[in-house]
Amino acid sequence: MKKRFALSRRAVLQGAGKIAIALPWLEQMVEGQALAQTTAIPKRFVVVFDGQSLGAGGDPLHNDFVPNTIGRNYDLKSALAPLGTLGVRDQVSVVSGLRIPTASENGGTVPAAGRPNDFHVSSLSPLLSGVRSGSSTASMGVTSDQLLVPLLAGNTKLSSFVCRAQAEWYLSVSAPYGRDMISYKKDGTGKLVPIPPQTSPQQAFQQLFGNFTPAGVDAATAAAIDRQHRARKSILDLVRGDTERLTNQLGTADRTRLSRHLDELRDLERRVNAIAPPAVGECKVPPNPGQDPALGGNQGTDGSGNNTYSQNLGYSGEEERARAFVDLIHMALVCDLTRVASFQITMFQSHLSMFNITGQATDCHELSHGGVPGGTMAVSKGIAWHVKHFATLVSKLKGTPEGTGSVLDNTALVFLLEGGHGFDAGTGENNSSHSTENMACLIAGGVGGLKPGQHVVAAGKHPANVLITAMKAVGYSQTTLGEVSGDIPALRA
Amino acid sequence: MALTGCFGQASTAGAAGNQTAIPLPADAQPVASGLRRLSRAEYDATLKDLLQDATSSGFAMLPADPTDPFDNDYLGQLPSGALVEAVEKLAQDAAKRALSNAVVKSSILPCSPSGPADSACFDQFVRTFGRRVLRRPVTAEELTRYRALLPYAQEANDFNFALELAITALLQEPDFLYRVELGTAVPGRAGVFRLTPFELATRLSFFLWGSTPPEWLLDAASAGQLSTTEQVHAAAERLLQDPRARARVSRFHALWLGFHRLPHALNLTQAMQAESDALIQRTIFEQPSSYLDLFRSTDTYANTVLATHYGLTKTDSNPFSWISYGASGRKGILSHGSVLSAGAKFDDTSPTQRGIFVRTRLLCEEVPKPPANANVDDPPTSPTSNCKVDRYAAHASVGDCKSCHSALDPIGFGLEKYDRAGQFRTHDLNEPSCTISGQGFLQGVGEFSGPAQLGDLLVQTGKLEACVVTQLYRFAIGRKELTEERSNVSRLTHDFQESGYAFKSLLMNIVSDETFAFRLEEQEAP
Repeated sequence: MKKRFALSRRAVLQGAGKIAIALPWLEQMVEGQALAQTTAIPKRFVVVFDGQSLGAGGDPLHNDFVPNTIGRNYDLKSALAPLGTLGVRDQVSVVSGLRIPTASENGGTVPAAGRPNDFHVSSLSPLLSGVRSGSSTASMGVTSDQLLVPLLAGNTKLSSFVCRAQAEWYLSVSAPYGRDMISYKKDGTGKLVPIPPQTSPQQAFQQLFGNFTPAGVDAATAAAIDRQHRARKSILDLVRGDTERLTNQLGTADRTRLSRHLDELRDLERRVNAIAPPAVGECKVPPNPGQDPALGGNQGTDGSGNNTYSQNLGYSGEEERARAFVDLIHMALVCDLTRVASFQITMFQSHLSMFNITGQATDCHELSHGGVPGGTMAVSKGIAWHVKHFATLVSKLKGTPEGTGSVLDNTALVFLLEGGHGFDAGTGENNSSHSTENMACLIAGGVGGLKPGQHVVAAGKHPANVLITAMKAVGYSQTTLGEVSGDIPALRA
Repeated sequence: MALTGCFGQASTAGAAGNQTAIPLPADAQPVASGLRRLSRAEYDATLKDLLQDATSSGFAMLPADPTDPFDNDYLGQLPSGALVEAVEKLAQDAAKRALSNAVVKSSILPCSPSGPADSACFDQFVRTFGRRVLRRPVTAEELTRYRALLPYAQEANDFNFALELAITALLQEPDFLYRVELGTAVPGRAGVFRLTPFELATRLSFFLWGSTPPEWLLDAASAGQLSTTEQVHAAAERLLQDPRARARVSRFHALWLGFHRLPHALNLTQAMQAESDALIQRTIFEQPSSYLDLFRSTDTYANTVLATHYGLTKTDSNPFSWISYGASGRKGILSHGSVLSAGAKFDDTSPTQRGIFVRTRLLCEEVPKPPANANVDDPPTSPTSNCKVDRYAAHASVGDCKSCHSALDPIGFGLEKYDRAGQFRTHDLNEPSCTISGQGFLQGVGEFSGPAQLGDLLVQTGKLEACVVTQLYRFAIGRKELTEERSNVSRLTHDFQESGYAFKSLLMNIVSDETFAFRLEEQEAP
């Protein structure tokens, strides 16, 4: 039963030197639930992913990522240089010495929280969910971000915001087979399913900020917008009703399929019915990212069979896409539209062309396989690009006041990479990029007693231990993630 | 075209169906079917047919289809927040575009509204356009629900607004986004259902056109004229006359052989696709002959770019023309750059990947996944040689690897003289001292050298034609066939052979097969 009630607070818009404009017509569109009514400052959790290993095959240098010094004021290697440029080193901790175990050390059987010897995509499940890999490339457990949804989401517009910058897989003939997704949840039937990410910044913008109050419109326009909004709700109500009716007519298998669609429709309806929080205080509608950059073609060759990275192949404006997603995640967290975000910058074993990004005429995966000279130093340029976007998000959160501090003080962010560098259980080589030895990751934010800004060597620990630390910081009561247990107390010291 | 009311006629259809219904023989194996969401390509084709909307907006906004090799495998489809939002936005945009175009608007609006509150005209619109969108008659209850949108038009004093809302809603209906098959239970056959005439019309058009059924086919369904095998046959014949059927056949081949997207510069990609398409169209539609000619044609359709690429001579001045392969060692579609582009790895051709391509796509064999301890990420190496044949020999000699690689790599080595863009070469990439022999071996069949001889060998095995049927069958049913469904494929293969490999007969046989008008309900969703 829906109840009409008047919007008690005034929706105001802030602009440089402008007076606040009250929008009385808003009172006609307050059906449904109001969001973000809670006065307590929310806690947020963000996971960011880079589909690379730390070093290049054959290079004895494991990485140019892990600082030489331990503790505070750590030195910045080339892969982490953006932390310095963006002034957030003291807000970000580096955790090194991590590893994911392999079958080779367990009599050929995949150990708990481990992976088969063959590298690619086998780190996905233990890295993201703490559960050992199965026979497929899928995650075998719910991922950290989705485990936190019941705890954090509350009444926010989006229970989680799942997005990816890399727009396409960029290989013909093969499919990504799961390399393109990093968030897994249980659906209504209890089945573990991946969440296909939003890859369109424009769609994401509309999703998050589409029903924000526009500024300075005349009465007629305001009435038209209001009518559009009510009509949109009527349509969704109609379609949702028809979907429910059809679901009930179907056989078991089809009923399961359509009920998944129905769940998504209900979620969309809930978001549309929700009143957008007024753009007050630090919450501002971010710039409209405009039309999405065009989709590039697959990785390509010229007439002579040579790669043509310099053409617009294997690239769909990922630089602009990543920037737009950082802006959107930032404001979605500030405006309390979501409290959980998962941002996959590149896919596992990414075939994104680096030419338009770092000027390297190769793809992200081949950086680790001699695609361009430079070995691990060349790989680090690619990592630095990912770190730049992570650091930008940290910097923006840091620059947004909230309570007595900043939004960053109420957030935990983790930056994960697909692999480390070193012993390759598949081939027995010692300086391989196909390795989950010598892994490292980043953790940022000051929520729940996190003390960022240090380099912590957590020798032999699992990357999931870092995720658990971040999860605990936002209030997660359990001490395990999948088959991994325990946090890293040094990150709070 | 006359748009008629449907309710009365639908019941006539049932009566006619009972008299002359397509029989389901006791030993026939009905095919399991589930909800199939329109693929991006099907969505765009459907909008084009419904609203003359050729913007391909679905391709730009809908989540990518899992494509392996076909883009319509419904078992891999998963709804998401991104999906329902894209669907909503696509519907809103398509509605606005349609109504801003007077020609489109008049094609879908069967009446002139007397004012913004003209409910009779609104009803008529929802009934007629709704039938096109939902591929079945709109029910009286639905009509009532849609009428709830009309007051917005009164409020806006604009009848168009109601049309816009109705189109926006229809294009989000589950009956539009998914191909829903309910059917009516077949007595005495547990879990087996006879498709309704509208469901059958939908199967026909999506299989043969990759798009929504046209008005005349819905009319036929409505009038009970899709009840006998002959009527289905006649409808399929008419669908096959249409250019959309040709495009559909091309798309099947492009997905099956992996050239719907090619990793080359645009001019080369387009020339290769045009080349393969021309051979497919000539063999199947323009000068129908044995389908096996696709693998043994001695000429090819090329422009100057492609002729030069292949080292062939083009003497005429037409942009594209048929030129002879001569003594180039090429023959048929396996010699096309489009097909030779498949199976590249490590920035070069991969004999293993090409072997897998031949085994899985052309012979429909299962190739087991490499064992967990196999390193598939680095090219094989040899301590003594940089030449590819030596490096692969080293890796294929290792115990566990040998059994699979001996059935794969020798196939690829028979194609090594053609690089990953299908260009002829005599030595390994970047290794001038490594001369390529080009000798290949198809285990259990024989030796060959080059794509021409491989084509001959594949035809000789007798497995190629069965595999073509299998692949087309998968494309038709939207997934791999189950073991118990293979009897249907065998029957179709037999008829394909009997017809002298007439591909059009194969298409007709699939739709007039007794199982095409039925479905078996699945027990569990994946």
